[in-house]
Amino acid sequence: MSSNDIEMISVTKAYGSHRAVNEVNLAIPAGEFVSILGPSGCGKTTTLNMIAGFAHPSSGDIRIRGKSQNGVPPEKRGIGMVFQNYALFPHMTVEENVAFGLKMKKRPIGEIRDAVKHALRRVHLDGYGERYPKELSGGQQQRAALARAIAPEPSLLLLDEPLSNLDLKLREAMRVELKDIQEQLAMTFVYVTHDQDEAMAMSDRIVVMQNGVVAQCGRPADIYDHPRSSFVADFIGKSNLLPIQEVQRSGKDWVVSVATGLSLRAKTPDDTLADPPQYCCIRPEAVRLTMVESDASTSANRLAGTLTRMVNLGAYFDCFVTLQDGTVLKSLVRSTRLPGLTSNQTVFLSIEREAVQLLPR
Amino acid sequence: MDRLLSFAFQLSLFLILAFIALPILVVLAASVSPTTTITFNPSEWTFQWFTALTASRWLDPFLLSIKLAAIVTALSGLLGFLAAYAVAYQKCPGHETIMAFLVSPLAVPQIVKGVAIVLFLSSSGFYSLLGTPGLVMAHIILTLPFVLRMIAGAMYNFDKRLDQAGRILGATAAQRIRFILLPIIKPGLFSGMTFAFILSFNNIPLSVFLVRPGETTLPITVINHMEYSLDPVLAAVNVASLAFILTAILVFEKIGGFSTQIHGGSK
Repeated sequence: MSSNDIEMISVTKAYGSHRAVNEVNLAIPAGEFVSILGPSGCGKTTTLNMIAGFAHPSSGDIRIRGKSQNGVPPEKRGIGMVFQNYALFPHMTVEENVAFGLKMKKRPIGEIRDAVKHALRRVHLDGYGERYPKELSGGQQQRAALARAIAPEPSLLLLDEPLSNLDLKLREAMRVELKDIQEQLAMTFVYVTHDQDEAMAMSDRIVVMQNGVVAQCGRPADIYDHPRSSFVADFIGKSNLLPIQEVQRSGKDWVVSVATGLSLRAKTPDDTLADPPQYCCIRPEAVRLTMVESDASTSANRLAGTLTRMVNLGAYFDCFVTLQDGTVLKSLVRSTRLPGLTSNQTVFLSIEREAVQLLPR
Repeated sequence: MDRLLSFAFQLSLFLILAFIALPILVVLAASVSPTTTITFNPSEWTFQWFTALTASRWLDPFLLSIKLAAIVTALSGLLGFLAAYAVAYQKCPGHETIMAFLVSPLAVPQIVKGVAIVLFLSSSGFYSLLGTPGLVMAHIILTLPFVLRMIAGAMYNFDKRLDQAGRILGATAAQRIRFILLPIIKPGLFSGMTFAFILSFNNIPLSVFLVRPGETTLPITVINHMEYSLDPVLAAVNVASLAFILTAILVFEKIGGFSTQIHGGSK
């Protein structure tokens, strides 16, 4: 696991004066499931296309398994790819599709037959080999595309939003399966998506991109718990983002005033924070909502407000609480915890100091 | 109201089909008519005019037309594919201009093209190319725009991601053409080639300038024969070539499966 399957060294892709990808440095370790996550236009697809060899960096270098890929065409890179629209060959049966890569490499027929059978079983499509892609459902087409990509057993698989055309239930089931397949085959997966749930659910590592640069790269939990910018905090999960007006600090303890005049106490894990914080971020699940005022002895921030809106998410309520100063804070409340909770009632919030995260930008 | 409208559509469709088919029925009737004047009497009919077709006077032009149409079809299919690959698929520099140039012969009347080709061949010392080589070249000028348009249309609709999928699976450019591009554009290729075959087999306006005495195509032979007599043999010739063309279309469709191309796949 120590070696890197892909290294991108200050890779830039410019279209005219626009830099779709700007000075990206990235190391993707072998055998990891890495998601490149970002909104549309952030450069994630361009990055994937450069790894595949369909686009060429304007400057910088991409190395796959330690070798520079400069001038190496996609067909010689020995990687697999699953396309967003699946790109199954419509004139071939599922079997022929899956066999295609091995056939092009002129492998012996017996070996091809075994590999096809194996790949189809892996994606639970045994028995569908004789069908044509148009005779399959969207989910089955997706599996067939996956089988085609893994049949030649590349060490590296690129996936370009492969689940985005599936309905929610299927998408959630496929997340688990994709992760299983990746672990069983010990392949490196590079998964491009704009869906943060997908990225959180499957990835060993997430690369968040914004405007062509890497905004943050790390394990899903790290990114969720310690976003490094308001963009990441906002993009990954839900958050209460408040712009900071004034700060006072003593060591790890801070008092921040946000634009509406609200003051919050915060505590940072260490006393190194290079830039003065611009935003504070509070995850809705860290905002504890109660119907009676909580114990005054805690060091948590204690606030009161009116519950102005409740959105029923089934197991949870998304509660919007308007404080006296006009700030609206979101709180996530398990639906069974507070029976009788209705909107327009006065509620109390408590937020641990550690949950108030200070972001430099 | 909807019913009335749909009835009107069906009626007009029937009338159009009748308008197209009736003259052919007259020819069909004439070809089995026992008298030399073209009449139709269902109680008496004969195949005697068809037996006349086995004479070399009709058989040779028929074979020449088939040979010509086959060569023209194959060559314009090949040239059309290569041109479309560069212009419509790879979108080479100036592809729009090149496309316009390649289809421009469509705008020139066939008579003008015929005269121009004869003048060119005779003034540039290639007079010896009159006859089959000249016919092949002239017919290709006529058919290439059709074939090119058909193949280019299929290539514009080709999903480039299929090519990318082939590449990432390790297929070389030649393998991708053979295993991915060609099978997918096959209906376009074959419908273009069917047009080429029919256009070449039926052609009069170009051929009339380029045939050599004793080496004429079937339509020219029919025209020549008509100048002297209008007998049921002509009807028999036309019925035979109609049957041949229909068979050819069926064969092309069997191989190319292009009917989906023509009626939009609503089979």
